[in-house]
Amino acid sequence: MRSLRAHRKSDRLPEALSIQPAGVDVHSPERAGAPRLTDNEGMNDMSTLVPVLMCAALTAGAAAAAAASAASFPNPLPPDPTLRVEKLPAKYPAGWAFLNYAGDRIELRNVGSDSREVKAELQARDSTSLLVSDKRPEIYTADTVWSRGVRGTRTDFITIYDSQTLDVTGEIVLPGAKRALITAMEGMFAFTDDQRLALVFNFTPTASVTVVDLVKRQPLGEIEIPGCMLVYPSGQRGFSTLCSSGTLLNVRLDAGGAVAGRTESKPFNQLDADPLFTASAALGGVRYFPSLHGRIQPIDMKSDDVQVLPDWPLVSADEKAANWRPSGWQLIASDDKKFLYVLMQADAEEGTYKDPAGEVWVFNPSTKTRVRRMRLVRPGSSIALTHGTDQLMLVQAGTRLDVYDPQGGALVRSLGLPGLHTRLQMEPVH
Amino acid sequence: MNQLDRLAEKMLRGFASRTSRRSVFSLLGGFLAGAATLPLLPVARGGEAEGTSPNDPSSGEESPQFSGNPQDPGDRTKCDYWRYCAVDGSLCSCYGGSVTACPPGTEMSPITWIGTCRNPADQHNYIISYNDCCGGVAWGRCACQNNQGDRPIVRPQTNNEVTWCFGTKSQSYTCTVALILGVALDQKK
Repeated sequence: MRSLRAHRKSDRLPEALSIQPAGVDVHSPERAGAPRLTDNEGMNDMSTLVPVLMCAALTAGAAAAAAASAASFPNPLPPDPTLRVEKLPAKYPAGWAFLNYAGDRIELRNVGSDSREVKAELQARDSTSLLVSDKRPEIYTADTVWSRGVRGTRTDFITIYDSQTLDVTGEIVLPGAKRALITAMEGMFAFTDDQRLALVFNFTPTASVTVVDLVKRQPLGEIEIPGCMLVYPSGQRGFSTLCSSGTLLNVRLDAGGAVAGRTESKPFNQLDADPLFTASAALGGVRYFPSLHGRIQPIDMKSDDVQVLPDWPLVSADEKAANWRPSGWQLIASDDKKFLYVLMQADAEEGTYKDPAGEVWVFNPSTKTRVRRMRLVRPGSSIALTHGTDQLMLVQAGTRLDVYDPQGGALVRSLGLPGLHTRLQMEPVH
Repeated sequence: MNQLDRLAEKMLRGFASRTSRRSVFSLLGGFLAGAATLPLLPVARGGEAEGTSPNDPSSGEESPQFSGNPQDPGDRTKCDYWRYCAVDGSLCSCYGGSVTACPPGTEMSPITWIGTCRNPADQHNYIISYNDCCGGVAWGRCACQNNQGDRPIVRPQTNNEVTWCFGTKSQSYTCTVALILGVALDQKK
């Protein structure tokens, strides 16, 4: 997936709609190119007389209506108070979510109300990834720009925002111009060490991870992870990464961000027969990765001793025969009640594993059983759940964000996602 | 009839001699602004909101391009052209390039990912090299998401999500071409 820049030409009004009618522009009669009506020209020419009269009639009618409206309001509006810049609350409400448009912008949006929707916007240029801290009042984005737009000197950097004002309070330039340019997706940018450190995934196509100290605001070093992709925080201070040999590489870090130890699992990712998606959902420190053909692979990443747990099927034999499979982009989510929500597609076949899915299936991983299934009003590609007491299920379906009740599956509301050209990565606030 | 023609010509010439082209648009715009602004805007936005993608190459945003060779059939500006079976990105055919050439002002990445696509004409499977063109202007025209043979990014060489702009002056993605590398060997059953 490429981070295509949004095409904004369509946002403009057609030129003809913004031009005043000729001959009745009383405010700027001398404007170049706008012919004036005089006694000697125009009035004797039937080709201009008819449309001009029609324009004049329309204008006269509008003027009469305006005069009647003005009579209803004898007093003018008072002056506005001093100009101000909006500020966000110290703790965002549970019904808000960050919507990452993957290469265009990141919106903070109120998805829990029908009132005002967009709360703020963050800049995003290429494969921009987001981290929202709950330890410090800060938001971080990892991004890439070129000094002359699409060319010139490349800079990879982390921007540090104040979470209330969204003022940029700092920046960390990442060395080497090697941050992975894929799209906004899980595994590109992650916290570790209780959010003191950040991990940035690099791909040149040599794979590595840059470790960054977010408190001191400086990069600490780079760790090579040849043949492995993406970073998933694991243990107290470290990460795990999925390798092309089908294994999981686990890297432990010391306080300075250097490698303190490495372990590698036995091969478990069936890359030829039934590979795992790289999207996952976490519950209690265990990450759950669906596979293309409908298994789920739990990996316990709570402690430094990362454990690949036994997999189990999401589909019955009959459902497997009907080619029910997981599909989508951010295709799995978890709620606060320890359930997993997986986008599922019927009649799946080769080449459809990233297509939108028609249903959401809810699983209890502790019993390895399905709790319920919900049919979506339109096929969805990404799913997430807001946090708090009244959780909402968010499903991106084309250029709509459909908000559902995750219990009964009813559609609560639907929001537009104007300008969404590629994938959407959602991150509800905690 | 001739008199009518001459009268019409005289009126048109007279109108044209006193009126710039811009003011004609102004005149038309006056009517459009009065009659059509209010109903048009919500309808246009509503259409987009229902999922009508402005990027859909089948929407006619580019005139068709054919090879002229019946063994290589299909419109090279459309996502369903057979070589594009694993394209996730924009088609260079819509940016001044072609199915095998990058647009002017861009640079082709020598490092790429590959797919296997079946030619509907000769029924051969071909190995396709999807080279990205980099450093140019991309804005979403002819964007396709085809995933035949594509696999998750753990094996990046068979993944189409990566921006394959390596070894180029700029790593900013523009579009993708689809080169035939050769005929794939059929798997023994």
